[in-house]
Amino acid sequence: MSYYVSVKRMNEILKELQKHYKVYAPMRFEKRGRYSDTDLIRYAEINSIEDVVYDEKSDFSPKEVIYPITQALFYFTEYEYMESKVDDKKILIFARPCDINGFRRLDTIFLKNGGTEDIYYKRLREKIKFILMECGEGWDTCFCVSMGSNKTDDYSLAVRFENDNILVEVKDDEFTNLFVDEKEIEFTPEFVTSNPTKVNIPEIDSQELLEKIYDLDMWKSYNSRCISCGACNAVCITCSCFNTLDVIYTENGKVGERRRVQASCMHEDFTTMAGGLGFRKTAGERMRFRTLHKIYDYKARFKDEHMCVGCGRCDERCPELISFSTTINRLYDEVEKLKKGEATQTIEQTASTEEVK
Amino acid sequence: MSYDIDIKEVRRNCYRQSKVRGEFMLQMRVPGGVIEAKYLSFFQHIAETWGNGEFHFGVRQMVAIPGIKYENIDAVNKYIKSFIEDIEVKLCGVDMDVNDNGYPTIGARNTMACIGNRHCIKANIDTTDLARKIEKFIFPSDYHIKINIAGCPNDCAKAHVSDIGIIGVTKTEYDYERCIGCKKCVEACAHHATRVLSVEKGKIVKDICCCVGCGECVLVCPTGAWTRNPKKFYRVLIGGRTGKQTPRMGKIFLNWVTEDVVLGVFKNWQAFSAYVMNNKPEYLHGGHLIDRAGYNKFKEMILKDVKLNPEAMVAQRVLWTETEYRSNFNVKPVTQD
Repeated sequence: MSYYVSVKRMNEILKELQKHYKVYAPMRFEKRGRYSDTDLIRYAEINSIEDVVYDEKSDFSPKEVIYPITQALFYFTEYEYMESKVDDKKILIFARPCDINGFRRLDTIFLKNGGTEDIYYKRLREKIKFILMECGEGWDTCFCVSMGSNKTDDYSLAVRFENDNILVEVKDDEFTNLFVDEKEIEFTPEFVTSNPTKVNIPEIDSQELLEKIYDLDMWKSYNSRCISCGACNAVCITCSCFNTLDVIYTENGKVGERRRVQASCMHEDFTTMAGGLGFRKTAGERMRFRTLHKIYDYKARFKDEHMCVGCGRCDERCPELISFSTTINRLYDEVEKLKKGEATQTIEQTASTEEVK
Repeated sequence: MSYDIDIKEVRRNCYRQSKVRGEFMLQMRVPGGVIEAKYLSFFQHIAETWGNGEFHFGVRQMVAIPGIKYENIDAVNKYIKSFIEDIEVKLCGVDMDVNDNGYPTIGARNTMACIGNRHCIKANIDTTDLARKIEKFIFPSDYHIKINIAGCPNDCAKAHVSDIGIIGVTKTEYDYERCIGCKKCVEACAHHATRVLSVEKGKIVKDICCCVGCGECVLVCPTGAWTRNPKKFYRVLIGGRTGKQTPRMGKIFLNWVTEDVVLGVFKNWQAFSAYVMNNKPEYLHGGHLIDRAGYNKFKEMILKDVKLNPEAMVAQRVLWTETEYRSNFNVKPVTQD
């Protein structure tokens, strides 16, 4: 059933929901953006429906809600340990189709990768239900349609914001009671069916081709362009790497916490081993790794879909204006050339192309 | 042609004497150096009608039109009436009588500024907006002051060599939970700024004493753990100057003050100048007035009725270091060894 709900009523319903749920949505943090007098939009617990920023793409993804940037796993003393706890309340997240599809990738990584489920992920994941936010036309950096992540039916509620009213589809019986007094209407969310940005995913069908891709000169162009800041990883709905460290509280070194903190494959020390050996020493090599991970490795391992959902946040957030969709298309062109046996662009040609730009 | 011209009067009217007898260069104020592009055709008209067809991007960001003949000054003054009205009165809110006589005084020099946060990724403040707000406190006035506004401590606008230099600084705030300990801010601070950041137990520790407030940590932070406090803060430098006798770098007077404090300082500027020069404006600019009065008297008068914000820091003394071209204490001819 679908309903036509005023903002005022929606806020009353929100209050009811918040008795049992923590409700997260993209929120505006005024003047907290990277540059002076720019805002930051990221997920946080909302106080009212007006807090929801529905008409702009959020800088950060909703993964932080369920996979916190810093997370204590357990606390320990000399002889005992105590697992960290999470809030008893369930969780509702206002999310777009790409992000809901992104959560499926996170589920795969944390719950279906190897024989062990990640309990720290699972204990929050089990609490989550989604409120689908309709995208309208999407944004110019989105390429969800190319990645097949523009649609989803994995939601409990779906909303369209329309001036002072909200169109709500209620799919989950748990929430039906809250809307019984509202005006019934015909509404199901519409999905974006075309993006201005389109990507072609290269078909990599042999180890021989993969090895040639490794040696492509295009990666070297990122050595000077990319500053290895990891902003692309931080905003990515599907980036899931973390570091684990023990933080010792006291001088005797016997009390502390085991903590995990999100990590970035674009950072220089991501592959640093004990003894100092590292595998991807240049920004270009790290760019190659990230690109192939998002549009080759993950699917090669888990079969169904690529890791990248085409949300385009990495494009928006990169301080050096490197576009991931352009990188994918560039790789596609190079792979086509490899398949046809044509000479690929040399580093000299790449450099001169960059200069012309 | 024989000329009999009161050069000082013409200069006061913002026309600078040329080496060509009877020619002058008009200097038009553009506080902060930003105005609508539509005025370009206005400047072009002046240059091609009365000037020599060229214009100069004045070093203090005024628009300068050289080659104006003395006998054309009246016509030019009539023509620039609308510009003075637009810029000084409408844009900056200056309380002045705009008439056919051109600029009433050269006094306070054009306030110059970098492009600031309207464009620059590094800037912490809207320098253009501040320059326009300051204009009504310093103009029109015969008291000579040079003000430079820089959007960040990089000081592209050379606030360090102006009578009063303003630098936009930011009090960055750190979100412990959002930090992944990647050290990008530590590297950025060491490279660009003052090495006040370090890592301790996977998180960042800051030596707040020596933070210059540049915001480089914010620019490079991948997770948005570092953000600017939305409140704007300013550093105020005094007594910097170029010049033949005693060029010197400005020294810090105030740090972490709000815009209200900055504007409060400029509100008191004319009264301070009048005090030092006994109400008789001389061709002597701000830094020299501070020297004459002494720092403590300057501080007392310039902060009169100014309510300092809780974060504010005020210099207890100023250790001037000048290049002594006049005395040449240290530089002597080799024959005097």
